[in-house]
Amino acid sequence: MNSIVTALPGKIASVFTRLDSPYLNGGQQLAVKYFSVATVLFFAQLLFGLLAAIQFVAPGFLFGWLDFSVNRMVHINAMVVWLLYGFIGSVYWFLEEESGTEIAGLKLGNIAFYVLTGAVTIVVLVYLLIQTGPGKDSTIWFINEGREYIEAPRWADFGIVAVMLVFFYNVAGTFMKGRWSGISGVLTLDLIALAGLYCAGMFYLTNITADQFWWWWVIHLWVEATWEVLVGCIMAWSLMHLIGARRKIVQTWLYIEVALMFGSGILGLGHHYFWIGTPDYWFSIGGFFSALEPIPLVAMVVHSVYDAGVHQFKSRNHPALAWIIAHTFGNFLGAGVWGFMHTLPQINLYTHGTQWSASHGHLAFFGAYATINIAFFYMAVQKWRGNVWMGGELPGNGWKWKWAMALLNIGVLGMTVALLIAGYEQSFIERAVEGSTWSGYFSAQNHPWFQQAMHWRLLFGLITIAGLVLLIWDLMTIGKGETRPALQLSEA
Amino acid sequence: MIEPVALQDFFITFFSAALIILSGAGYAGLYAWAKLRGNPRLLLWAYACYAVLAGATFLLARATHLNGQWQVLVGLMLTGYLLVPLGIWKLCVASHGDENPPSPFL
Repeated sequence: MNSIVTALPGKIASVFTRLDSPYLNGGQQLAVKYFSVATVLFFAQLLFGLLAAIQFVAPGFLFGWLDFSVNRMVHINAMVVWLLYGFIGSVYWFLEEESGTEIAGLKLGNIAFYVLTGAVTIVVLVYLLIQTGPGKDSTIWFINEGREYIEAPRWADFGIVAVMLVFFYNVAGTFMKGRWSGISGVLTLDLIALAGLYCAGMFYLTNITADQFWWWWVIHLWVEATWEVLVGCIMAWSLMHLIGARRKIVQTWLYIEVALMFGSGILGLGHHYFWIGTPDYWFSIGGFFSALEPIPLVAMVVHSVYDAGVHQFKSRNHPALAWIIAHTFGNFLGAGVWGFMHTLPQINLYTHGTQWSASHGHLAFFGAYATINIAFFYMAVQKWRGNVWMGGELPGNGWKWKWAMALLNIGVLGMTVALLIAGYEQSFIERAVEGSTWSGYFSAQNHPWFQQAMHWRLLFGLITIAGLVLLIWDLMTIGKGETRPALQLSEA
Repeated sequence: MIEPVALQDFFITFFSAALIILSGAGYAGLYAWAKLRGNPRLLLWAYACYAVLAGATFLLARATHLNGQWQVLVGLMLTGYLLVPLGIWKLCVASHGDENPPSPFL
């Protein structure tokens, strides 16, 4: 038994070592490890989401074995973690090329990857094995911190912060050793904010209003500020390497995006402070800045039309470009349209915490973040295979990536619309008609519109999973046996 | 401080809010396209989209009781959505200005 345990780390490492490719630099080898775990967690996210969706239509399903609260928690935690794995992997991917030097402390970065992956595995196992029990101080430290979306116990929190510090050292140290650029400057500053904000969710206060106040710093300011900027950096680098966009242009636009995103997104935080016991002025601040938040997204429409008209959409990787286009639409619809529909306090009073939020969350996270990670996976696999051709005329006319993309987008959009109908019914029946009473809650839950919407959500969830299975199959096979080299870019 | 939306105005609230963003995108997209093609007819369609946006903003303001200081929000929303596409277009032209677009592909 002891020998098995001692040999385990080596065996795990050897699994990841098999992912190494002679065409990649050190940072890219590490990035592939992050991407592979991200894909596994993406599958876990959908699997636990599916179980939760089944429990909406058949509440007795797995009751006492794997309760809805646990499924939902793992579903959302897996999403947050796989997106972070994707972002971290993307940064490691371009770090050496962007800085023009080898990564500072790469060995430490590799150790941090195994530590983080080990911690994530243990945290999920504990979630699944210890689902109920007394809530003591030790529970916060070892089982579950109890904060929605960031339930990881405190020991894992400290581990995450330590790993993020290593990641920051890798990034900042490498740029300090090599060369700085507009992208690297924005990225480094954004990582300070990203890591710092996580600390706001690590302490516990007995006053629930004060506790929620700081908790939203992590949830909102990650998703609607620092993540958007991080994705902006990843996108800027991707566009240079995908369609040959010039550095001067992408950097200029990165600065504009940072100004618009932070200008509207930071105080847009106010739309989470409407009902948690904070002062009334948050109604005005939250309402005002929430109305401004879609402006950067509308601005992107102008630039997209400009680029589409002035440049031809010639790219060296068609699947990646298609996913980037899906990102622009998904971000606009999910974050912009779905967000603004229920963000003013006059209507949010009714929609807050209903399936409206779930509808917005599904489309916004997929559109804004999952799509960009998938685009990067395709860019990575292209080089991993030896920088092979991934333009038009792929074998089978590229049916796998096209169908995977169609199924994933149709699935998520279908779930979004189904949840929208359920949320509308809840806002109307439970909140407005029955005044948020306990009986109103059950009236809304048992209403035919809600029930039917949950069946449709399950169906579209299955379509989403089918899309993911096809996507994974495609990522594992695309470019295999391809002998044509990728289109080469001239020096910008 | 705020007066909640009346029950009968639920749909109009969601619909007008969605229409603001969609017509805002329509205005921005058509404005850019009109400039790109030098087509004044497209510009008219862009302004038609903006008129829809203004109408939707009015509907939303009425349904959500945006009175008093909230009217500042309405004014800023209309001004912002009118001017941002123009500003972004100018930035596009300026930032791509010295670009002589040879294909970046070898």
